[in-house]
Amino acid sequence: MTAQNGTVDDARDDAAAWSGRCAVVLGRLALAALLLVAWKIGAGVAGTLYVADPIAVVQRIVADTLSGELIRHTLATLRLSAIGFALGCGFGIAVPFALRRLPRLTAAVEPYIMASVGIPKYALVPLFILWFGIDDAPKLWLIGLLVFYVVFIAVFAGIRSVPRGLIDMARVAGAGEAAIAREVIWNSLLPFFFAALKIALPRAVSAAIIAEFLVGNEGLGYLIESSRQNFDTTGVFAGIAVATALVLAINGVLSLIDRRVNAWRPVDRHMVV
Amino acid sequence: MGEPLLEIRDLAKRFATRAGGEASPWVIRDLSFAVADGEFLTIIGPSGAGKTTLLNMIAQIDAATAGEVRFGSETAPIGDPKALRPGLACRIGYVTQDDHLLPWRTTLQNVLFPLSVQGRLNAETRARAEMLIRTVGLNGFEHHYPHELSGGMRKRAALIRTLVYDPPVILMDEPFGALDAQTRTQLQADLLRLWNLGRKTIIFVTHDIGEAIALGDRTLVLSRPPSRVAGEHAITIPRPREVRDIMSHPDFAPLYQRIRAQVQ
Repeated sequence: MTAQNGTVDDARDDAAAWSGRCAVVLGRLALAALLLVAWKIGAGVAGTLYVADPIAVVQRIVADTLSGELIRHTLATLRLSAIGFALGCGFGIAVPFALRRLPRLTAAVEPYIMASVGIPKYALVPLFILWFGIDDAPKLWLIGLLVFYVVFIAVFAGIRSVPRGLIDMARVAGAGEAAIAREVIWNSLLPFFFAALKIALPRAVSAAIIAEFLVGNEGLGYLIESSRQNFDTTGVFAGIAVATALVLAINGVLSLIDRRVNAWRPVDRHMVV
Repeated sequence: MGEPLLEIRDLAKRFATRAGGEASPWVIRDLSFAVADGEFLTIIGPSGAGKTTLLNMIAQIDAATAGEVRFGSETAPIGDPKALRPGLACRIGYVTQDDHLLPWRTTLQNVLFPLSVQGRLNAETRARAEMLIRTVGLNGFEHHYPHELSGGMRKRAALIRTLVYDPPVILMDEPFGALDAQTRTQLQADLLRLWNLGRKTIIFVTHDIGEAIALGDRTLVLSRPPSRVAGEHAITIPRPREVRDIMSHPDFAPLYQRIRAQVQ
């Protein structure tokens, strides 16, 4: 929708859009209620050993939050995801920018990098444990690698898609290589970068949880897995619910940042994940 | 006219051999001309005559295959794209066919772009940018993004983005090509007014004979590729010129006829 002239048409469009949005929100709420009812019935039919009762899950979340247990585990997962994400993301940006200046090296290593994308990273966890022990290191390797590839591929493609004319213009206007990288290339690839983040951030949390299944004694993954071992299905569901909420919250923050950073973009551009 | 500011001698250009192994044809061959300091030179030629390629080589964003491109006492590297110095340290400005505005920068930020990357952003240059924005009638649109501007406004923004850092030579590649006649005439008048303020050396490429006459001190006609200079015409119409009424000047019609006879 254009927002260039404040005309009568725009006002009418706004009113229509408003009532449309209301309908969508109501529909969503109805769907949420329906899912909760289905969950409740499912718990009754399957038995709480297999499907936890939603009310019990909520009670558990409240109780564990009050005891501080849940916050401790959530923070552990968050910390692990954040560090792993920062490492993977940093290298995912730095490597393509470095390769940009080395076209021959890029041509040589590109097939290897692209082939290594295909390695199932989770399959490497036993190796990481073997090499890096059972502290944070193997978990960070897993998270970092998963994030790295997503960011790397997006930034790499983004750098290649920068219009040649913009770079020439900037050079003629006196921009050095650093200014071109920072101003022209970085801004051009921001949409690619944010698309990558929308995949990489939830993936970082998922990877952290899976890593915690396998190694260590804290984090949401540990909480879920230890609950399962104790036949505490309610605990499993509570852990899953909190992990989901965590990812949704991260996505919400990311969308806000995206909207601010990419406000200049002409079309309605916000991919909702 | 003393020593020319810019001299092109026996310039030749062909692009890299295509994948098939077949040598690509010469786009430009044996092209020679000179431009004096402060001259407004217009270049006209059929499409595909390598006009853009010629400007790219002068601006040093593309390397010539053979010949010489000399600016003052400096010559451009031949056949070695890595040794190019695009814009020759901000002494050659280039207004390209596409405006190449940065879409994430507002009009004002786009105009300030060269100053900011050159580290010359200060109160004085800012004032100059604002003056130029007013001169071309973009005031009120300083904080609009390029996609919110009309085609003519984008051209104006691109034009003053180059003028703002005051390069002694400005290359223009059909900057008004894609505009309607009305806007185009307006922009031509704007350009002449701006040129009168500073008398830069301008090389202005166009495929419009009327535009070449209206703006230039001298017009070069390029041949079909491989391009050479097919003709040269001094534009005797006195300045200041009124672009809108240029066609009614008695010198216009004969010049137009002679140039058109050479543009094939």
